Amino acid sequence: METSTAAAGTGQGEKAPVPRGRRPAWLPWAVGAVAVLACLGLQSQLYSGQERTVTTVFMFVTLAVGWNLIGGFTGYACFGQVGFFGLGAYTTVVLMVHGDLSFWVAWPISAVVAAVFAAAIGLPLLRLKGHYFAVATLGVAEGLRELVTNVPRWTGGGAGITIPSTGAKAPTLWLGNDGFYLLFLGLGAVSALVAALISRGRTGYALRAINQDEDAAAALGINTTWAKTVAFGMSAALTGAAGSAYAFQQVTIYPERLFDVNITVLMVVMVVIGGSGTVSGPILGALGIAVVSEYLRQHFAQWHSFTLGVLIIVAVILLPQGLVNFVRDAVRMRDFSLLSNVRRYRL
Amino acid sequence: MMLEIDRLTAGYGRVRVLHEVSLDVGEGEIVALVGPNGAGKSTLLRAVTAMIPDRSGTLVLAGRSLIGASVEAVAAAGVAHVPEGRRLFPGLTVRDNLRLGGWLGRNKDLAPVLEMFPVLGDRLSQVAGSLSGGEQQMCAIARALMSRPKLLLIDELSLGLAPLLVDEILARLGGIAAAGTGILLVEQDAGAALEVAHRGYVLELGEVVLAGTTAELAADPRMRSAYLGGEWEADAASEPGGT
Repeated sequence: METSTAAAGTGQGEKAPVPRGRRPAWLPWAVGAVAVLACLGLQSQLYSGQERTVTTVFMFVTLAVGWNLIGGFTGYACFGQVGFFGLGAYTTVVLMVHGDLSFWVAWPISAVVAAVFAAAIGLPLLRLKGHYFAVATLGVAEGLRELVTNVPRWTGGGAGITIPSTGAKAPTLWLGNDGFYLLFLGLGAVSALVAALISRGRTGYALRAINQDEDAAAALGINTTWAKTVAFGMSAALTGAAGSAYAFQQVTIYPERLFDVNITVLMVVMVVIGGSGTVSGPILGALGIAVVSEYLRQHFAQWHSFTLGVLIIVAVILLPQGLVNFVRDAVRMRDFSLLSNVRRYRL
Repeated sequence: MMLEIDRLTAGYGRVRVLHEVSLDVGEGEIVALVGPNGAGKSTLLRAVTAMIPDRSGTLVLAGRSLIGASVEAVAAAGVAHVPEGRRLFPGLTVRDNLRLGGWLGRNKDLAPVLEMFPVLGDRLSQVAGSLSGGEQQMCAIARALMSRPKLLLIDELSLGLAPLLVDEILARLGGIAAAGTGILLVEQDAGAALEVAHRGYVLELGEVVLAGTTAELAADPRMRSAYLGGEWEADAASEPGGT
């Protein structure tokens, strides 16, 4: 028995460890920097309509990256994410209208309010798993919308509320298309940076472990409550910051549009298509969905939603793990066939 | 003593599984815990790691009481658990699994565990879910060792593994214990467990029915007939008539 064990041991030992072609550590940072510079250069080439469209894409990059922190890395699919978006927006509006505060003060406060709110509801809600967490967060977002609608003294209620953004009474002058382009570009870039730092850091390891097996993660000494709350709070902060900037950009906001569940659905779709639990996946997903959606809107106006829906279904069937994860697996296994990918992930 | 358990009672909700179990594990000692299915062996390990919050009695690790401690706090106190079914992170690489094992002490030095399980060195970039059963068990033990534990709890090491592989992995436990780690080994295969252990306990229906050194247990007639199976033929004549 001893000799055969030893023989098996050397048999495995003979196979020299194959050095994997790992990408250099600086490459993602360089790609990110070049992308931001390219977006800066692109600005002068765009008509104002295009500029607004690209600005919206930057916002969705932020939202997708934010959702990915809790839904992708941690595996807690939050279906009430739009609640943080609306909360950030209304915090900004209330501070600017009633508090007469500058946008530059209201903006960070809104992000913090969203994060603190997420941490507070996270303590009970993050004990739920799977569908239960999704449904509970959906309820929180609906509740926030009702709350905003029912305190018209502060929020304008269902009729909406307007931020004074021109003239002497404005706390901060409206930034203009160029200003909001830069604002959302900066926000998107910071979001990607935050996601990259979390992913590489200790917290990222903890979140991925929780995603895979939460009990095993706790048994290794990871404080899972703390890690999940941090992820949820960071996710809400980015989403709230996006909502805040969006409110200032729109000037007049209504609860129906700010708490629209479709915004949450878009975040989820972008992350799933791009590749959840990765840094680049949500960014590519947001870009891809936005470009396809815009193309369809211009060329097939009547069939826009239907065609987009069909494309999303096909994409999810062919790439259930998302684009980035598919490419990574395909390169690793030297197998680029979509058919074998479908077979591998078939339930 | 590294681990002292005195009259520990634990269970799930209103169902008590362990009834006043007393047991101890010394520094550098391998203690086997054997018994039939449903005896409460896994429950005992889960009670030590606080995965079962309902427990009463005395539970002391290196002089520190673990009653009332959280799962993370028990891990921080120096207990590493290799649970039944291994519970690796299947979608993460072997390297990430091992580094997560070193989470608490920020231990990134894989060399000692790779020296113990050289096979894992060739698998570092593979996801843990793609490993063979034996490799997964080695990875699970290596992950637990990355926290440099005072006490290592291993649940059903042999489950689903070829006997040859079980012997190979069991043989490594001696080296781990020699470095000072106490090991509590839960095992269906009593014979294999007693081969490497210093002492053993037999658990039946949540109570310790037999305890002693490995030699004492191996010589005990109840142990031999029920778990080691060696004297089955000799007992066969009396068994049916006696009951």
